[in-house]
Formats: sequence, structure tokens, C-alpha cells
Amino acid sequence: MRTQPVMKFEERIAWCKEQLEDPTFPTLREFKGRNGTRAPIVGNFPVWAPQEIAHAAGALPVTIAGGGSSVEIDHADSRVQSFVCSISRSTLELGLRGYLDPIDAMVFTSICDVARNLGGVFKRNFPKIQTFYLHCPQNVSSPAAVDYFATELRRFRRAMEDFIGDGITDAAIARSVGVFNEHRTALADLYALRREHPEKISATESYLLLRASQLMPREEHTAILRSTFAELEARPTRRRDKIRVLIEGSFCEQPPWELIEAIEDAGCYIVDDDFLLGPRWYDTPVKLGEDPIRSMAEAYVKYSVTSSIRHYGDRPRADHFAHKLKENRVDGVIFCAAKFCEPALYDYVLLKDVADQAGIPHLSFEFEEKMGVFETLRTQVETFVESILLFAD
Amino acid sequence: MILKAEDLGYSSDVCGYVKNDIGLVANDMTGPFGKMAKPDLLVCTYSGCNTYIKWFEALAAHFNCPLYMFDVPFSRGPETHAADIRYMMSELKELIVLCEKITGKKYDEDKLKDILRRSREAEDLWVDILHSAKRTPSPFDAFFEAVFFMAPIYVLRGSQECVDYYRAAKAEIDARVVSGTCPIPEEKFRVVMEGPPPWPHFRTFWELFKTWGVVCVGSSYSKVGGIWDFGFRHDPERPLESLAEYSLECYTNYNLARRVEMLNRYMKEYNADALVIHSVKSCRAFSMGQADMREVFIHDLQVPTLFIESDLADPRYFSKAQLKNRIDAFFESLEHQRIVAGKTA
Amino acid sequence: MYVAGVDVGSTATKAIILDENQRIVGRGLTHTGANVIKAAERAFAQARADAKSDDYEIGFIVGTGYGRYKVPFGNTQITEIGCHGKGAHYLFPETRTILDIGGQDTKAIKISAQGEVSDFCMNDKCAAGTGRFLEASASVIGLTLDEIGDVSMRSSHPLRITNMCTVFVESEILSHLARGKKVEDVLRGVNNAIAGRSVALMRRVGLDDEITFTGGVSRNKGMVTAIEERLERRVNVSPDSQFIGAIGAALFAWERTQKKVGAS
Repeated sequence: MRTQPVMKFEERIAWCKEQLEDPTFPTLREFKGRNGTRAPIVGNFPVWAPQEIAHAAGALPVTIAGGGSSVEIDHADSRVQSFVCSISRSTLELGLRGYLDPIDAMVFTSICDVARNLGGVFKRNFPKIQTFYLHCPQNVSSPAAVDYFATELRRFRRAMEDFIGDGITDAAIARSVGVFNEHRTALADLYALRREHPEKISATESYLLLRASQLMPREEHTAILRSTFAELEARPTRRRDKIRVLIEGSFCEQPPWELIEAIEDAGCYIVDDDFLLGPRWYDTPVKLGEDPIRSMAEAYVKYSVTSSIRHYGDRPRADHFAHKLKENRVDGVIFCAAKFCEPALYDYVLLKDVADQAGIPHLSFEFEEKMGVFETLRTQVETFVESILLFAD
Repeated sequence: MILKAEDLGYSSDVCGYVKNDIGLVANDMTGPFGKMAKPDLLVCTYSGCNTYIKWFEALAAHFNCPLYMFDVPFSRGPETHAADIRYMMSELKELIVLCEKITGKKYDEDKLKDILRRSREAEDLWVDILHSAKRTPSPFDAFFEAVFFMAPIYVLRGSQECVDYYRAAKAEIDARVVSGTCPIPEEKFRVVMEGPPPWPHFRTFWELFKTWGVVCVGSSYSKVGGIWDFGFRHDPERPLESLAEYSLECYTNYNLARRVEMLNRYMKEYNADALVIHSVKSCRAFSMGQADMREVFIHDLQVPTLFIESDLADPRYFSKAQLKNRIDAFFESLEHQRIVAGKTA
Repeated sequence: MYVAGVDVGSTATKAIILDENQRIVGRGLTHTGANVIKAAERAFAQARADAKSDDYEIGFIVGTGYGRYKVPFGNTQITEIGCHGKGAHYLFPETRTILDIGGQDTKAIKISAQGEVSDFCMNDKCAAGTGRFLEASASVIGLTLDEIGDVSMRSSHPLRITNMCTVFVESEILSHLARGKKVEDVLRGVNNAIAGRSVALMRRVGLDDEITFTGGVSRNKGMVTAIEERLERRVNVSPDSQFIGAIGAALFAWERTQKKVGAS
């Protein structure tokens, strides 16, 4: 009886892995094929999108975070230059190969120049997919930013209404915000567990669970997470002699799960990371006021987690990072930026200084979602771990 | 300067233009033109280039000085959104208060109106110069010359010097028309140029085109700091509103569909033979999507299009032999097609 | 009257002599090496000897390739893109799309029914997918370019090579070999990776017609197979594929002599 829940958990992780490694999105195809389901699927490119509004429209909101290592790039190389990040290329490839057919709409936001222009490329190449572009405010210190963004979100809401041919009520949006608040709380609990008991669940497992959340109804995923916690309680574990590290820089293009595993195998407990930040965009539940759209705009402007994709006005990102290092009691930082990812590569320079000032050693390397060999990287991490363990105390 | 920035931890893959500046700041603010003063306030008006945000965040950290992020919403369609204008006008008002605080001086709207009046005057003259390229042969190279001619309207706009400069420049172009002097003495091909120039190899790059008698009659890079040739002007009667509108009307703030539309308009209105896309590694805001643009022009619009690659700032990313090969092959085949067409006509 | 074409590439220099009926009568092939002028002279002399044309007058000589301006005895020069188009059209009149993988460049060329270039695309700035990439991969393993084709054909489980950077591919190959992977599987992986890039280039100019594969790398059988598999169709490869640029140059030379005759 005691081993069965553990088995169930491992089966679930294996299932998540299968979904991740199949670029044809079987869960979405299945969703579309369900009897009586006429609900559209609204995809978004990382990092964040107002999924609550799509949800309130009755759609299934999903994050399309690239083709990973499973899609062979055949068509997109001719459309995207070699000096541009892999995720833009593989996402376009997914479209050109028809793998995005179950998707009815795609949302791109102002995270970087590449993602923005990819939205333009999508618009032209895939007339069957409705492409939305949202400009998220960068001047978050301006008192006008919330007004502006509320108007922008209302524009998106109108577009969604046109799209489904029906109105979206405030009450529906408020309900959806509630659903997402619950999901975010469950994810926050997952991360808290890793921070306090990293031996209970590996970062690879947690990442696979997180990725799967973006390909299924959020209500179902919250339930899965809740039952997972119970199973993990019973998981026989032993704390190992590993260092506590934080991973920074993988907020948009996602590293292959094997890379995360390689880092863990090399002697690290990854106690926090910025993998797939969108579903975890707020640390605390979005507070609902009378106008749920305005509440969403306010949350975005004032309470987002920090990442390289936006400006934080009066509360610079470096301060947040320093806080994060302290809160997670880390022994080391691994800067893990996607090759050619400009936001991450610029922030690396600022954030490594923060780590230096805090006296925390750091290691940096660039990855590509398609990479398949991790030996060099593992050696680097092992050396990094050894140097910390040997010099500690 | 680029190497200096890379020593600080900047990747070899990030924008060389940014690294030029960061390297200069790290070099005790000293560049080939002298020493720059330390700022009291940084204002970032990034109009369509997210990299600027990261750039100015780095500068703000370095100088430990306030940074005002003047947010310019990116174009989301052909239309202008009223909310964007409202947002930017509010930002401008906040900026006025901030400047008053730092300088201790009161904001004077009449002075701004005067500045905008002079801006407008310079803008009219600049547009006349740009339109002169509609003539055949063109008295003006709308890329290789325009990227220099454009400097005063970006950095001295609103001053009397700026107006005087464009008056003199306009007189020079008029004189060229009268005397029949052209930048390309024997004009053979008229092209529209998309993308920034490779600054460190500017002359070499121009020579590669001059050899073939190529004149640029339109370009996008000369519009990164403002698009006036389709009618936009600063309006002294609506000072803040027109400053907000101006910020939206920069080429870098245009989405891909609008960029294609503008280039195609140049192709037609300036009677061009071909489009040249110069794709630079540094600037993904320009280059991401250019390969798709090429598809539109070649396949949908049937415009002969040359696609070449180098960089606007990093001299290491420039290969003359490779560029020459491509440029030669392109105009060789254009010339050949012309001869064949001439035969059958 | 005979005519000649000399193609000075980054790795090899090729020369072709045609007779007045556009038939190939002489071929010359040499390593380019450091001295481009010497290489051009060497290849040309070989071709003359091969054609036994010492007594004949060579009416017109066209230079092509990277070193086209360094052919001291040439009458004019034309880019290798134009020449490859012309040469491929001569050997395969039905072909409309040409893939040329050379030492530094990979080109996809679209030609008209008359053999004129209507569009072309080349690899971007980096050497990914060019002969140099293949050479770097081969040299890590300790093989020459000519050997890798046959070796890769023995592969039954091709590996996936993910690095397209010539610098990084070396360490990727080494770590595959360190894990006990077979040389042939690694090489087949390299061939597949290049084939992928090349097909992407061809898509840019259009893929609807008969395809001809030219340039030094087309002698690598493994590469031909990899491209055919990727395209799911046969491609033309001529035994003279390395000479196609020089053939095209010689054809341009021949046209010039015809024009002169016509004019006089």
C-alpha cells in the first residue's frame, strides 16, 4: 500500500515526459476531439499572457514554449537567421509543419524584439490562427500604466468576444481569476516544497509537472498537484550531500529536461528556478476588485514576479534578485541563458555582480533547446559543486 | 569598445551597438570624439527596441542615477490607439515634473511650441530632400547619403541650426538637379534598402554597390528616428500630443506588416528595380522576420530581392568577399534579365 | 576556336576547355592553396594539356569563384552563382533548382528554362552547413573529406548532431565518440544536419523542379543520400559536378566569342 502512490507519481511524471517529447500536442488534439467540445484553444508564446480572459471565454489557454528537442527543423531555418534564438525557430516550425492545427489563436506579448516580430510572422503565415499582439507596459512607475493596461486587456477581451461570437461577463472573468489563483497557489506550494525539502521532489520532476500544466485544463492540473503532495509526503527519501542552487535565465526558451537532470546529478539541489514563469507570474493571489480587468492590470503592473522581459521601474530587478538569493539560502547560482537570448544575456552582467556582492559563487553557460549532449556541462557543474563543497566552512 | 564590454561579461552574441556604448562608459566615458559628461537623469524612449530597456537599465546601475522609462507602445495594427496617446501624454507630464525637480526650472510651454515650430520647418525641408530621389537619375542617395543627412533632425531637432542645416542641404540638392550632378554618375539600378548600414565598413559597403551603378532611392534606416515623408509633422498647437504621435511613428516601432507596406510604397513611388535587405546580427528588432519579408517581396509582390548579412557595429561580422559575391551575382542576373527583356521587347 | 573557364574556389581550383561545339575537351583540377594566381595557372595548364590544345588558340577565358579577379590571363569574370546555373543547365537542361555546397558557401540557385539565374540564396555568415563544417567534423575523426562519404554510408543508427557551429561541433563529436558511438553514425548525423540546412536554403528559392547538386561536397555519396532522403526524391549529380562552375564560365566565354563573330 505504501509504494503504490509512489508508483502513481512516477507514472504521472513519465506521462508528462511523453507529452513534452511529442511535438504534435496529443492532449490538445484529444481536447479538440472530445464529444461536444467546441471550446477553442488559445495558445500563447512565453512568458506571460492574460490566460484568465481566454479561460473566461470558455477557451483552453495553453503556452506553446517551443518545439524542444523533438521537432526536426526543416522549414523554419529558411525563415529565421542563425543568430536568432532556437525557440523562435522551433515555434515557427511547429506552425509550418501543421502541429499547431488544434490551436485557434496565438497571443504574443512585448517580451523581446524577436518574440514581437515572430508574432508578425505568425500573422502572415498562418491565417487560420488568430494572432494577437499585446503591448505590456514597461513604465510601471507611471500612474497611467494601470489605466493603459486595463484598456489593452479590454481590447483583448473584445477580440476574444468577437472570436467566440459571444460576450464575456465580468463575473466570468472574476471566476477565471479565481481558478488561476488556485493553480498559482498550488504551484507556489510545489516550489515551497522544493525549497524546504528538495529531497522530496527533484527539479526535473517539478519542471515536467509544470510544463504539463500548460497543456491541460488548469482545474485538472490543480487537482493533480494537490494529490501529488499527498503522495510525496509518503515518498521514502534521504537527504544527500548536495549544494543548494538557483537557476536564472531560462524564463522563455526552455532547456531540455535532461539538462536539468544533469545539473541535479552533478550534485545540486535546484531550490528555485525561473523555468516557464508565466503560470507562476504572481507570488500572491490576484486581488479582485469591482472590475476584474482592472484588477488584472493592477496585478501585472504592481505584483509580477521579476524577470528579464520587463522593466521594474522604482524596484530594480537587482534588489529582487538579492532577496531571492537570501530567501532560498543558496550556495551557488547557475546562470542558464538560452543562446542568443538578449534579455537574459544582458541581465546576466547585472545579476552576476549581485551574486558577487552577496559572496555567492556562480556558474554560467548557454543552452539551446535542441542540445543533446550534456557531458561538458556536467563536468562544469561537478567542478562548480566540488569547489563549493571543498571551500565551504 | 566592444571588447571592453565583452570583458565585463557581455556575450559576443548581444547587440554590438549597445556594447559600443557600454565599452565607452567603462572607458572613463571617453570615445574617439572626446569625453562624455555623467548624466543626472536617464530617459529611455525605446520606440520599438526592447534591447534599449536592458541597455538603459545597465547605464542606470552604472551611474546610480534615476532612469525614466518612457514607454512607447508598439504598433498593433495600422491604426493608432487613443489609449496609447493618453498613456504617453501622461508620461510626458510626469517627465516634465521630474525635469523641473532636477533642474529647478519651470516648464515653459511657449518655448516647446517654438521648438516644435522649428522642428516642423526642418521636417518640411528634409521631406523635400527625400522626395528628390523620385527623379531619374536621382540627385540623392536615399540610403548612403541619407543616413548622414538624417543626423541633425535626430539630435538637433527644434534648433535653428537644424533648420539652417536642412536649408543648406536642400539648396545643395537643388543645385545638383540643375547641374545634373548625381551621387552615382551612371545610374543603372534603383533600389530600396532595408536595414541599417555596416558602420565600420561603410565605404567598402557603398563601393560594392557603386560598382554596379546602384543608387538607393528609398531606405528604412533613415526613418528609424521618425517617418515624415508620409505626412506626419510636429504640431505646435498640440505639443504633447504630437510628441506622443511622433514616438509611435518611427520605423522601429512599426510591425512587420506596416514595414512591408512602407517598403512596397517606396518601391512603387520611387520607381525602384529591386529591394536589398541588409540583415544585421546585432539588431533582431530589424532582422527577425526579414527572411519572411523576403518571401513576401519575391513570391507575392514579384520584386527582385537581395538578402545579405553583416552587422551594424561589430566589424568582426563583416565579410567583404562573401558580400561582394552576392551583390555581384544579384546585379549580374538583373542586368542579364534586362538584356534578355530588351531583346524580346 | 577553343574557350576556357577557370573556377578558383576556396579549396580547389578547376579549369575547363570547350571546343567550338561546346564539348568539353579538357579538365584541370588543383588545390587552391595560398597562392591563388599560381593555382589558376596550374589548373589552366593542366586543362590545356588534357585537351592537347597547346596548338589551339584559346579565344576567350572567363574566371569565376572567389578568386575570379585573380585569374591573370582571364578576359572577364562572372560570379560562380551565374556560372553554376549555366553549367548545371548545360548538363541537365530540365533542372531549375541547383544546390551547390562549396568550401565556404552553400548556395541554392533558381534558374529559368534558359539557364539564367532568377533567384538565389546563400548560407548566412557562419560556416554552418558548408564544406568547412564537414571538413572540421572529418578532421576531428581523423578522416579526409573524400573518405567520409563511404564511411557514413555504413551507418545504421545515425545520431542527431545539434550544434551547427563549426567550433562547437568538434566537441559534440568528441563526446559522442567518448560515449562509444560509432564513427559512421556520427558522420551520418553530420551529413543529415548539413542536408537539413541545405534543404532549408532550397526552400527559400523554391523546390518544385528537377534538382541538381553541384560543388565539391556533391562527391560525398553520404551527403547525396542524406539530401535525397530529406527531399524524398532523387537529385542529379554529374561526374563532372566539381567542374560545373568552370563549365558555366567556359559557356559564358563561348557566348562571348559567338557575339564577336556575330558583330564582325
